[in-house]
Amino acid sequence: MQSNRQLICIMITAALVIAGAHAALAQTTIKVGNILPLSGPSASVGLQNKQAQDMAIQEINDAGGIKALGGAKIQMLYADSESKPEKGVAEAERFINTEKVNILTGAWNSAVSYPVSAVAERYGIPFLVPVSVADKITEQGFKYVFRIAAKDSWWTRDQFAFLKDMEKEFNTKIATVAFVYENGDWGKGFAEGWKKLAQQGGYKVVLDEPYPSTATDLSPVVQKIKRANPDVLFLTSNAADAILLTNTMAEYKVKPKAIIASGGGHADPSFMKATGKNARYLFDIVEWETDVNKPGADKTNEKFKKLYGYNLAGESVDAYVAMYVLADALERAKSTDPKAIRDALAATKLTTGPAMIVGYDAIEFDASGQNKHAALVMIQINDIGKGMERITVWPKVSRRANYKPVFPTP
Amino acid sequence: MLFIIEDTINGILMGSIYGLAALGLTVIFGVLKVINFAHGSLLMVGMYVAYWAVLLTGMHPYLSLVVVVPVMFVFGYLLQDILIKPIFKSEKEVREPITVIIVTTGVWYILDNLALLIFGPQYRNIQDNPLRGKMLEIGDMMVSVPKLWGFFTALATALVIYLFLRKTRMGRAVRATSLDRDAASLQGINQYRIYNIAFGMGTAVAGVAGVTLVPFYNVFPTVGVLFDIKCFIIVVLGGLGSIGGALLGGMIIGVIESVGPQFMTATWTEAIVYALFLAFLFLKPSGLFGVKYDW
Amino acid sequence: MTPSLARGLPLVVLALVAFGLPLAVTSATYLHILILLFLYAYLTTSWNLVGGFAGVLPLGHAAFVGIGAYTSTILSLQYGVSPWIGMFVGGLLSSLVGVIIGLPTFKMRGAYFALATIAFAEGIRVMFENIDYLGPLQINGPRGLQIPPLKTGLVHFMFADKEPYYYIILVMLAAVLALTWAISRSKLGYYLVAGGEEPEAAQSLGINVAHAKLAAMAMSSFLTALAGTFWAQFTLYIHPKSVMSLDISFEIAFIALIGGRGSIAGPVLGALLLRPVSDFSRIYFGDTLPGLHLIIFGVVLILVMLYQPRGLQEPLTRLYRRAMGRLIGDRGAPG
Repeated sequence: MQSNRQLICIMITAALVIAGAHAALAQTTIKVGNILPLSGPSASVGLQNKQAQDMAIQEINDAGGIKALGGAKIQMLYADSESKPEKGVAEAERFINTEKVNILTGAWNSAVSYPVSAVAERYGIPFLVPVSVADKITEQGFKYVFRIAAKDSWWTRDQFAFLKDMEKEFNTKIATVAFVYENGDWGKGFAEGWKKLAQQGGYKVVLDEPYPSTATDLSPVVQKIKRANPDVLFLTSNAADAILLTNTMAEYKVKPKAIIASGGGHADPSFMKATGKNARYLFDIVEWETDVNKPGADKTNEKFKKLYGYNLAGESVDAYVAMYVLADALERAKSTDPKAIRDALAATKLTTGPAMIVGYDAIEFDASGQNKHAALVMIQINDIGKGMERITVWPKVSRRANYKPVFPTP
Repeated sequence: MLFIIEDTINGILMGSIYGLAALGLTVIFGVLKVINFAHGSLLMVGMYVAYWAVLLTGMHPYLSLVVVVPVMFVFGYLLQDILIKPIFKSEKEVREPITVIIVTTGVWYILDNLALLIFGPQYRNIQDNPLRGKMLEIGDMMVSVPKLWGFFTALATALVIYLFLRKTRMGRAVRATSLDRDAASLQGINQYRIYNIAFGMGTAVAGVAGVTLVPFYNVFPTVGVLFDIKCFIIVVLGGLGSIGGALLGGMIIGVIESVGPQFMTATWTEAIVYALFLAFLFLKPSGLFGVKYDW
Repeated sequence: MTPSLARGLPLVVLALVAFGLPLAVTSATYLHILILLFLYAYLTTSWNLVGGFAGVLPLGHAAFVGIGAYTSTILSLQYGVSPWIGMFVGGLLSSLVGVIIGLPTFKMRGAYFALATIAFAEGIRVMFENIDYLGPLQINGPRGLQIPPLKTGLVHFMFADKEPYYYIILVMLAAVLALTWAISRSKLGYYLVAGGEEPEAAQSLGINVAHAKLAAMAMSSFLTALAGTFWAQFTLYIHPKSVMSLDISFEIAFIALIGGRGSIAGPVLGALLLRPVSDFSRIYFGDTLPGLHLIIFGVVLILVMLYQPRGLQEPLTRLYRRAMGRLIGDRGAPG
């Protein structure tokens, strides 16, 4: 036992050697540290974000980099959070202290973005969040956090606004609603919003059901939906459970007047493939859709599809757009100093360029760092002769020409 | 009342598939006396083998058994022979070498992440298969056909293993080793070979469970993790090493999971499963079939 | 120089090196990695009281980390109690839970015990995920709790720099190592080892094995919970899937078995090997080949277990003794 103590000595000395091996790199480019879940349960979405950002960075660099900085190139560094907050924080620390990044982006999981935003704030490094939607991320009074996507209270608000519009347009009365959501940060946040809105809108909530997204069998939940028999079903699901729920509902012939999903798993490229015709008539709220009426959007999507074999989804567009917001800020900052980049980001008013494939007309951040124009669209999955596709239906100005939404579901 | 019956049936069917998955774990434990933490990953491998077999040849999902079972048996046989046997040899005096848990966990990490590297993180399933989405409608009740197939497969698999252990020479050697490995060795049984066979069998059974899931479930690299803890609970509930216990344990979990949510949220049901499991452990620690490792 | 003095010397050097390390390691990144390394060494040393000496394999220690983290965080967020006080409240609470878990489970053998502790920990996690409010206490379900980084200073257990965290966890680690050393030489230590190796024989000698194990469990869960508070104050955000995840429980057990369980140096050795493997492989491969770092981790686990099934502690101790023997002519008195 006694010599064990002494042994510790040797090993700690060994650790010293490892620790001493660090070397600061000279800055020749603009370094962006990107934290994403690249392995583990959210690896699928992490990869989509990564590919969209790779494409954007490639485009920006090929077009001559940041001209105000003498054509400086953007260098993207990726780190894997495995969806774990503590790993995300460790990677943020490493990016800032060792890699000396000028800006941070990522982390997809709200549970990771949340603590990472505190790290960024402490070091004064701007943190550009494409898609973590939890309200609280931009509601901490932080100066260095900026979010492209709409926050979850806007998603739920628009879901109900959409429902009201549909009721009017199709002259159908909706009385009862059901909420089914994954029991996590994201699902809980949505459910809270729904409950408030349902009360305000005078809808009766017949089912309020969180479920573990690791569930191996969702038929009990589907049975519950069937028995509650709601007019409209609201869903918040990750990919595996979204697929399972949709297929199981089709098996049990659960057909509410409308199903309104919340992006995420329902917007995952695997979802359409794995559900086939079972997903028909499903409504899904997303940041963006391939049929958006914006110049350049279809070309960007085509390029992406050629590179990676699937369509751009809302989340990947936010990730793509974030890179152009960054490039724009760098042009105006004319500096790689994080403080200058932060100030330039805060003054963002982006109305032109490849980023404008989004469904709205400008990107501007409010005092909390939230993109105040971020708008959402509602799509419907339907087959109008070319196989199942996602068709924009709401708001009405964005609706695909000559498409009449199917509401209520036959 | 009808809905309780309907949910109970669903629970029994789904539970029998859990039981089938746990059956592989219990076979391995019965002989080697170690928990195979890579079991969920073996199930995942089985699902991928079945998925590709069906996708590439267009065969009936259950016909893929002819591919899955031999492939998985050899896979498990070699896994045990190469990675786990050396530990048994170096730790002869220990009855339950904990080291094996670490090794199998290492195998788990390697398999899951190899699948991620090779197949990517996408969720896959086979849209065009004759079982997909089929439902049996009895009055107002609905029963899933693919789960029904799973149920009968689970029963058949359990029966085959039972007969193998009871009626064949090899099976008797396996049982002898499981009862007393030293005495079996004295009788001229090569215990390491028996371990290989048991591990191969357990892995093949995990593969069979994978085949039953493929017609209605998603295939993705971390799918095994979802079944891991469930299998652990089931084997303890049924009595580690007991074949009937694994099936019954699986069905109990399945029924709780299926009926429970009608009275509370599905997330609380998850907690109830753990609570019941622990309560059971205190009252009857040797499991439903309280026999100790006797087949 | 007398041999005993010579053997004591490395300890002094070790202490000096450890305390001086932040002077050499100015990068917060590496300090962060070192802090996590010490944190895991601390957790594993606490675990070792049960998992090492008592000869069982608990796989649910994350529950204690979570209880510690939640207790101090709730107390400080809602009642303004300093996390230092909350830390010990959490420790006591966790100790109580530990004994409750230990009472029935210590009767179980091998695999049953391991699985029962997993089920306990997972059960507690699932409960936390289902509860938004426990009476007046806000647990906030799956969304967890965030500690706003407003008040820094020793009283608030919150610092802008990493050095204070480093020293706190270093002192904690030193203390728990000293405690383990004292226990290993005490009656309790002998009872535990005897009960772990030959329970029947120990019982017949009049040793109350069950009592000894429970005492060890109480201490172990108490100490583990203290690290939970440290975790919360260090990352400033906790939710059930982070502080109560099975991954933590598993990693603790890995570190112990790789290092060599039941020895004092084992947990530290294990952490020194596994933590850097896990961190650096993630840093170098996490971006280009997702998942490869976990494959490497798995391979290391398997290789060490195949070639050193009793952990790294044994061969390294031998090596060290030989080196010391050469150096000072002391042929390594039995330790």
